[in-house]
Amino acid sequence: MSFGQFRSLQVRLAVRLAVLYVAAAAIAVGVLVYQVYDTAGSLNDRELGLRAEDLARALVADGTGQPRLDLPAKLAAAYAAAPEDDLFAIRDTNGRVIAASPDEFGERVAKWPPATDEPSYFRLSGAGSEDFGSETYYGLSVALQTAAGPMWISVARTEGSDALIRSILREFVVNAIWVSPLLMLATLAIGIFAIRNGLKPVREVSRMAASIGPDATSVRLPEQDLPTEIMPLVASINHALDRLEKGFAVQREFTANAAHELRTPLAIINSALETMDGNSELEKLRTDVARMNRLVEQLLRVARLDSVALEFGTVDLNKVASLAVAAMAPWAIAQGKAIAFAGTEWPVNVKANVHALEDALRNLIENAVAHAPAGTEVTVTVDRAGRIDVADRGRGVPRKDRENIFKRFWRGAGEKKEGAGLGLAIVSEIMRAHRGSVSVAENPGGGAVFTLSFPPLQTGDSKIARRYIAGDAA
Amino acid sequence: MRLLVVEDEPRISEIIKAALERAEFAVDTVRLRADAREALANTAYDAAILDLGLPDGDGLNLLAELRPAGSRIPILILTARDAVEDRVLGLDAGADDYLVKPFAMSELVARTKALLRRPGAALGTTLKAGNIVFDTIGRDVSVAGVPLQLPRREAAILEHLLRRQGRVVPKSVLEEKLYGIDDELESNAVPVHVHHLRRKLQDAAASAEIHTVRGVGYLLAETKG
Ligand SMILES: Nc1ncnc2c1ncn2[C@@H]1O[C@H](COP(=O)(O)OP(=O)(O)OP(=O)(O)O)[C@@H](O)[C@H]1O
Ligand SMILES: [Mg+2]
Repeated sequence: MSFGQFRSLQVRLAVRLAVLYVAAAAIAVGVLVYQVYDTAGSLNDRELGLRAEDLARALVADGTGQPRLDLPAKLAAAYAAAPEDDLFAIRDTNGRVIAASPDEFGERVAKWPPATDEPSYFRLSGAGSEDFGSETYYGLSVALQTAAGPMWISVARTEGSDALIRSILREFVVNAIWVSPLLMLATLAIGIFAIRNGLKPVREVSRMAASIGPDATSVRLPEQDLPTEIMPLVASINHALDRLEKGFAVQREFTANAAHELRTPLAIINSALETMDGNSELEKLRTDVARMNRLVEQLLRVARLDSVALEFGTVDLNKVASLAVAAMAPWAIAQGKAIAFAGTEWPVNVKANVHALEDALRNLIENAVAHAPAGTEVTVTVDRAGRIDVADRGRGVPRKDRENIFKRFWRGAGEKKEGAGLGLAIVSEIMRAHRGSVSVAENPGGGAVFTLSFPPLQTGDSKIARRYIAGDAA
Repeated sequence: MRLLVVEDEPRISEIIKAALERAEFAVDTVRLRADAREALANTAYDAAILDLGLPDGDGLNLLAELRPAGSRIPILILTARDAVEDRVLGLDAGADDYLVKPFAMSELVARTKALLRRPGAALGTTLKAGNIVFDTIGRDVSVAGVPLQLPRREAAILEHLLRRQGRVVPKSVLEEKLYGIDDELESNAVPVHVHHLRRKLQDAAASAEIHTVRGVGYLLAETKG
């Protein structure tokens, strides 16, 4: 229950962390891509600027003082190699075109406004024109000082010429998109792991808290290794437990005191009545006192079960059951009933509290003997599977009463006076504390069978049992 | 036969004393542990009945002093705390038997007699149940005053059942008793001997009979009149 709540907290934290991480990663990638594109753009700008300067250096004044472009052979070859990719146009300060490649570009540039010292950038669409095809160009115009005086120089190149850079960028972005789900999963996994790990002490504490109950009041939650946020909560729970335990201790003490206080006067009344010579009134009084005795006994047993923790050990059901039969036999025989025990050849070990188990068996045997017709036998049988049956030949328990008989103070109609109606409630409490159960069924051939069932045997025991069967068969 | 009763509740003490005196015991009563210690040191009691909750301390402590000091006096403890652990503690500390309050006076008297019948205890020479009398020295058995001849093994079984009368004697314990007499024991020797013994007691009109607790052992009890 509490585990499920933890898990949801974990998942919630992990999902939030992952979302945060993905958003951060997206922003980082975005900034990176922008930066790269930006850098690519300015690289392009510098390249164009350098070209403009190269052209400016190649400008000379001829004899008449007229400006003339004298391109070095290499540069001239380069421009000639791809005239439709790399364009240039040079104008003098009157706007007259001095040189251009191709001429068409010169014609266009001629219509442009004057260039300034600061480079101005342009984008040029060649759509429809013969020379430029459908290319888009990017370029700059700048006014530069040359050997032939100040000149306006415009250079441009096709936009596609930075394709390499762009394809590298595109690949980077695609990779980033493809990798991010993986990264997201990885962060989720790491997040869940880290959170689970971090919450481990909390889970530990909640597991321990679940074990606290009236039979285990001494449990305290560990305060080490806890996140500081939870520490105050755990500390105050521990304080509350201290107070609770004290309350239980007071209750226990009260029970013990009540036992002493009630029993002594009862013992006095009892023995005084015993020594009196009586008429029928005295006989009735004795029955009443016997009933009161019984009620006090059973009430105190209930109180003790409610408040005292049981200590468990390994117990052989054969041993406890045969001792219980031996202890009850004198009483049963005095009632004119027989009692018998049938055990198994090998020990049937279970985890149990011997005294509680004795109590449970005694209550079942008392009931069986009380309901058995005179001269019949009550049998207590131990079964290899960890069960004890107490069977009688009485009137049995009607199907409709089978749930009720285990309730406190419930008694069958027409029961004799002495009972308190607590016996079977005590038995089922005891079996609950043993993680076992008590049930009632019809005894084949008439009567009732009450069965105490204990949780499955430890592997060691069943191994022995199996070996025994195997040995038997051989 | 002299008994010491250590009990702080005056009314209970009084009633116990009256019941035991009716059974022809001589009874002294004390209230405190310290008085009990002194009384036991000065008088040779045959048995003591000891309440565990005393005003000046736990009766268990007295037991814990007596036994290591070598005293073998039979002791029956009384306790209002029926926490089974208390009884076990008492028996571990050297008590011979216990009774949980409230108890029937007849039960107290019967238990006290049983204590005194234990080997080495004061009532060791004759064992009785109903009209059966067993002289442990002469090893003679009589029923209603008429001598009854019993083979050795049957007599041994009867003696043991008499010593533990009113309680179940495990079959294994009886088998051990027979081993001392007979080295080759048939697996059904005990049931066979008990069967014969039972018949002989019935024929002699004994007022106590042997009951079988199947799977556990046998029990001798006075027949209800
Ligand atoms: N072996 C049995 N055969 C028939 N009925 C039974 C048997 N055992 C119990 N019952 C029914 O179940 C009821 C409850 O039993 P339970 O032992 O709880 O109370 P009780 O015996 O009446 O009183 P006490 O607390 O003194 O034992 C009985 O009153 C009786 O009607
Ligand atoms: Mg009952």
